[in-house]
Amino acid sequence: MIDVRLLVKSYGRVRAVDGVSFGVQEGEVVALLGPNGAGKSTTIKAVTGLLRPSGGTVSVGGHGLEREPLAAKAMLGYVPDRPYLYQKLTGRELLRFLARLRGVAEGEAKADAWLEHFDLQRSANELIETYSHGMRQKLTFAAALLHDPPALVIDEPMVGLDPRAAHDVRRLMRQRADDGGAVLLTTHSMEVAEAVSDRVLLLHHGRIVASGSMTELRQKVGVDDATLEAIFLQLTEEAARGAAA
Amino acid sequence: MILPAMRLRGALNALRRTPLRALVGVAMLSGVFIGVLAATRRGVRFLEDYPGIGSISGAVEQRSLEALFTVLMVAVAFSVLTGAIATLYDSSDLPFLLSLPVSAARVFGLKVVETYVNSALLPALFTLPVLVGLGIERDAPPGYYLIAVAALLALYALPVAAGALAALVLMRVAPAGRAKEVATGASVALAAALVLGMRALRPERLSNLTPEQFDQALARFAAWHVGWLPSAWGSSAVWRALRGEVSPAALLLAVVSVALLAGVARVAALAYRAGWFRALDAAGKPGVVGALPAARWEAPLARLGPAGGMIVKDLRLLARDPSQWSQLLVLAALAGVYFISTASLAAQMQTFRDLVGALNLMFLGFLMAGVGIRTAFPLVSLEGEGFWLLRTAPLRARQVVLAKFWGALPVMVLLGGGLGVAVAGRLGVSPVLAVASPIAGVCAGIAATGLGVGLGAAFPRFDATSPAEVPLSTGGLLYMALGLAYAALATLLFAYPSYRTLRAPGSFHWSSVEGLAVLGAVGVLTLLWTVLPLLFGSARLARYESGVG
Repeated sequence: MIDVRLLVKSYGRVRAVDGVSFGVQEGEVVALLGPNGAGKSTTIKAVTGLLRPSGGTVSVGGHGLEREPLAAKAMLGYVPDRPYLYQKLTGRELLRFLARLRGVAEGEAKADAWLEHFDLQRSANELIETYSHGMRQKLTFAAALLHDPPALVIDEPMVGLDPRAAHDVRRLMRQRADDGGAVLLTTHSMEVAEAVSDRVLLLHHGRIVASGSMTELRQKVGVDDATLEAIFLQLTEEAARGAAA
Repeated sequence: MILPAMRLRGALNALRRTPLRALVGVAMLSGVFIGVLAATRRGVRFLEDYPGIGSISGAVEQRSLEALFTVLMVAVAFSVLTGAIATLYDSSDLPFLLSLPVSAARVFGLKVVETYVNSALLPALFTLPVLVGLGIERDAPPGYYLIAVAALLALYALPVAAGALAALVLMRVAPAGRAKEVATGASVALAAALVLGMRALRPERLSNLTPEQFDQALARFAAWHVGWLPSAWGSSAVWRALRGEVSPAALLLAVVSVALLAGVARVAALAYRAGWFRALDAAGKPGVVGALPAARWEAPLARLGPAGGMIVKDLRLLARDPSQWSQLLVLAALAGVYFISTASLAAQMQTFRDLVGALNLMFLGFLMAGVGIRTAFPLVSLEGEGFWLLRTAPLRARQVVLAKFWGALPVMVLLGGGLGVAVAGRLGVSPVLAVASPIAGVCAGIAATGLGVGLGAAFPRFDATSPAEVPLSTGGLLYMALGLAYAALATLLFAYPSYRTLRAPGSFHWSSVEGLAVLGAVGVLTLLWTVLPLLFGSARLARYESGVG
């Protein structure tokens, strides 16, 4: 569903992403992990069309983001790490606007359903500027899911969410994949990544240094019961040592 | 002293980070200082040398200074209302400062000083060269400059204190979460009314007075003294200082100002602790719960697809964002001033009326260029940090740009065409110019919209905190240059029918070949100035990368 090939993104002489290739299939949750500055957000932004790759290709559902951007974007739902929304719209007005923008059939009914799903119906007619960070994050999820996209891209999904909402979002990501969707997420929470993802990609200095399922990663580090956190620490240290050498 | 030192350090660091901007700022301030100083000295000399002015020259100068003080105090009072809410009561660093082991009165004292600097510094810097010029021309003793600066600083403290107290009351009585909107609306409406009112007085009528009538008016102005006004205390303090004396008014002014500022800091501290700021909290009464259907007016626009959806969204944001609709109030005042100024030039002779009508064709282009930079140019940038919602949607940049264009076009066309009709009608110009005037207005409106939206999309500033900030960029400069070029070219095209009408009334007809050629040329010019910037803006916006550059 999501296909990234030899993705390069440079800022002047700095290569934030350096030849990254991966795919996210239908029915799969893939977690993109890495230390700060590894290139996770840059990769995500290139996948959603917010950044133009310096090299390589990105396609969604077989539609190249460069050649068929509208078809590719129509298949994507995106939740950014910082949920900047129009402060002076109400939650309901925002979803109504996005439904019109994306030509969603029965947009009103779908907006109501997602508002209810995220327990936002009581504040749906309030201005977004009155929402807490967690409420904005939930509204952003509703906005990303409104058009029922087959591919979901999520940057730091749990920031600001209360335990109940975090649990719901975790379940939702798994459910989307089980229903045949593709989910790509970045997170610093090893617990979330371990709980929901089928595969993990470990990014370091703009390159993928390890990828695979939890079993494959445990085999790679040679510890059968290693947690994802332990694997992450070991592999990033190895990558840092390799880069220094 | 730790808190002010911290603030000063922050300001210096900011200057160090942008040395070029600091240099430009200093150069501009120096230019203004030198210009105002020269104008003041020339004005004082003119008055001293005015034939027959005799002993009232000093009184005229003093009254003029009082008038300047009054106008600038009113300007400070207008700006301090919103400034006080933001700086004194709603600044993001307030919780941090109050968590420090410093008394709340001191923290709010610092905030009062910040409010003063933000609201009164520019008027004070503008007044300073006036006082210096006066001192130089009247050979004032060195102590004069000290007293004059102290009087100046004390004088502007009064509207700052009054505005800060008014803001405090507003935050209690305004609807919940709407204090800033109400303050902005009140400030802009009052400022617009003041500008319109002053223009409606038509000061140019003074030039119609006979020398005797002018002398009488001057004598009445010199005798016009309202002693209880703080501006009169200020001018009295300055005048006595010119003679090397310290006026009781100066002492009174200093005591009242310091006491008021200290009182405001104390009251603000008490009010903050008492949770007085009901209207500052965004959360008000619980709103309507349940599915609210779209408003009826949205339906026809919604049928236009994504563009209609964007226009609906923009209209809602316009209605709720005071920084946006206050721009429209400013424009309404600008249009009003233009209409009053042009209408006041109405004369008996048809030739003179047509001459003014011909000039109006030129001015309409300049006016609409000025309007466009405030309305059309910021439209794309107003998406702000929410632009990612459009960027990740299946939309072409061209659709976004065109939606902004169609959203702004009706307002601009109505304003341009309306002014064209109104001014031509009020002036009573010949039929040729009566037709040309609305055409010039409508075309200028279309071109300014295309140019503004297009260049605004090509040079977006999604990080701008207000629409007024958006044009302060390369794109804004380019817009002004091209907007003025359009006005100049349109003037050239309209020059021919205007010339023919002035030279031989009735010899030119719009239905003639030459008339149609002029209209065609204006149409082509307008089309070029509209379509090319929109294409350029769409192409640049398509390549825009969030968070880069």
